[in-house]
Amino acid sequence: MNAMRPGAGASTTRASPSSPGVDGRANAEASYGVESGATVLLETRALRLRAGALPAGRVLFEGLTIEVHAQERWVVLGPNGAGKSSLLAALAGVFESASGHVSVDGRPLSAWAPHALADRRAWCPQFWSDPFPASVLETVQLARHRRHGWRMPSDEPDEQVLAVVERLELAALAEADVRTLSGGERQRVAIATALLQDTPLLLLDEPASHLDLGHQHLLLDVLHQHAGMGGAVIASLHDLNLAWDLASHVVLLDGRGHASAGPRDAIMTPSRLGAAFGVGIEQVAVGSRQRFWSGRQR
Amino acid sequence: MLRTLALMLALALVAAAIGVCAGSSGWGLATPEILWKIRVPRVLAGFGAGAALALSGALMQLLTRNPLADPYVLGLSGGASVGALLVLWIGSLGGAMLLPEWGVALGAGAGALAAASALFLLSWHMLGRLGVTATQESSVALLLIGVMIGTACSAFVSMLLVLASDLQLRGMVFWLLGDLNGATQWGVAWLAWLLALALVWPTARQLDWLARGDAWAATLGVPVARRRRIALAAAALATGAAVATAGAIGFVGLVVPHALRLLGARPAALLLPASALGGGAFVVLADAAARTVVAPVQLPVGVIAAAVGVPSFLALLLQGGYRRAQ
Repeated sequence: MNAMRPGAGASTTRASPSSPGVDGRANAEASYGVESGATVLLETRALRLRAGALPAGRVLFEGLTIEVHAQERWVVLGPNGAGKSSLLAALAGVFESASGHVSVDGRPLSAWAPHALADRRAWCPQFWSDPFPASVLETVQLARHRRHGWRMPSDEPDEQVLAVVERLELAALAEADVRTLSGGERQRVAIATALLQDTPLLLLDEPASHLDLGHQHLLLDVLHQHAGMGGAVIASLHDLNLAWDLASHVVLLDGRGHASAGPRDAIMTPSRLGAAFGVGIEQVAVGSRQRFWSGRQR
Repeated sequence: MLRTLALMLALALVAAAIGVCAGSSGWGLATPEILWKIRVPRVLAGFGAGAALALSGALMQLLTRNPLADPYVLGLSGGASVGALLVLWIGSLGGAMLLPEWGVALGAGAGALAAASALFLLSWHMLGRLGVTATQESSVALLLIGVMIGTACSAFVSMLLVLASDLQLRGMVFWLLGDLNGATQWGVAWLAWLLALALVWPTARQLDWLARGDAWAATLGVPVARRRRIALAAAALATGAAVATAGAIGFVGLVVPHALRLLGARPAALLLPASALGGGAFVVLADAAARTVVAPVQLPVGVIAAAVGVPSFLALLLQGGYRRAQ
């Protein structure tokens, strides 16, 4: 219940002076009006989530307290059903059985006008429905259209749209129907849609799913760049090595009601990860990076 | 966008001109009496009903994310049929038709209203729920509730058809097929489709977002519950008025929105008004054919709508329009 359970201990300790040090681009005065890396973009206090409505829903986890600053990359780890997607939805303000406190830019979610919040955070869910024909170019611009009032936007994509489409290697697919894309291609469209919402805070639910190796690293580059420009990223991932490469901070859900959060190196230890996932995990240093090795004896 | 709408408007006007010139007594302008008392009101009624049905169909497809949805999945036409047939049945119990034409329309309207009330009562809470995970449970549940209402109504309709005398049966079957014969009350349908369009058009973009995911739309600032309830109310209003005016004309509500999507009208802000104009034009043309093809016998407009519409839609579909994005 309180923050003293094992694992919750790290939750309030922050990486001291939040080292921006991400790949070079870290000019902090960025597009988001963020002056320094110390700006708190998102904060939770004593967050508790239930699976489904009261009173029957089991507690997914409780007592999660985090502060997400500009330039940080938070990765949410945990076994299936531990509440990763629910956490991201709760941070986005669309999860109904959450209690506790979530604020964006220091203001509680409930105090935000919904359309104003859409300028501060983008939520990229794991599943999309594409019931009707729509091109890639139309789809990535969907969220962007909120700026056009009720008028029709022009059909011409602006420079930023073209740049993001190019960056995510979607240019050749720009006119393709989203319903004909492969899983990984659709995933890149979803990421592009979130990026083009043009918000400092990105909440991405398993953005690496279906992506091939090359595009997984492209994703990491894009997210590092986003954080480097003064934004922040919170993403759930399953691949521990990818998580290590992206994260500055980690939330680890163990599926038994515990959540631990803190700087990456404090949370991503073989013992904590092994306990959460129920498999043996070894850590090996490869150059300057930590690699994780998992498996049962056979 | 404006170009497409202008094109649709032109098409609607051409259709209206053809409709006014087509008569069971031959082509061309009729005497002023026939023109203003019969043909113009009939064209207006057909246009209003078609516009309302196609608009409602486009809304239901967006709302349920289901390409197979049409105005009738909600069970409203079932309710209207029960109302209309009840009036036809009771009205002729004494032997001859005692009730005026608008009595049937009134019965249909009341039936549609009753079905719509049941629908809202049953789905109110569901419409407010957000599907955060993959589930589309609210859309599916809405469809199922509509299907249940429709099933109950069609059982009742079958019962009325069995109870009806041979004399009543013909009128009932014509009504069920969708019939503009003698339809002169066009005001209700026009009021309904214009009002429904006014309810949903200003926030049409939010319907596009809702079709991609409820919760995602909510993160963009869409008041999901309110938007869905208003869209459903608009669809119910349009369907009820259309069915009361012209009977349960099939096909228009399902296919006109799809045809327009295939032709490139995909954002809801364009699709909704284009569907209304296209649906109106389609029914007017179908009715013109229904009156003239085997004149002086007048076919039910629903028959022509399907006979012409099915092959042309299939041609459009198989041409590969659904594959190409552009």
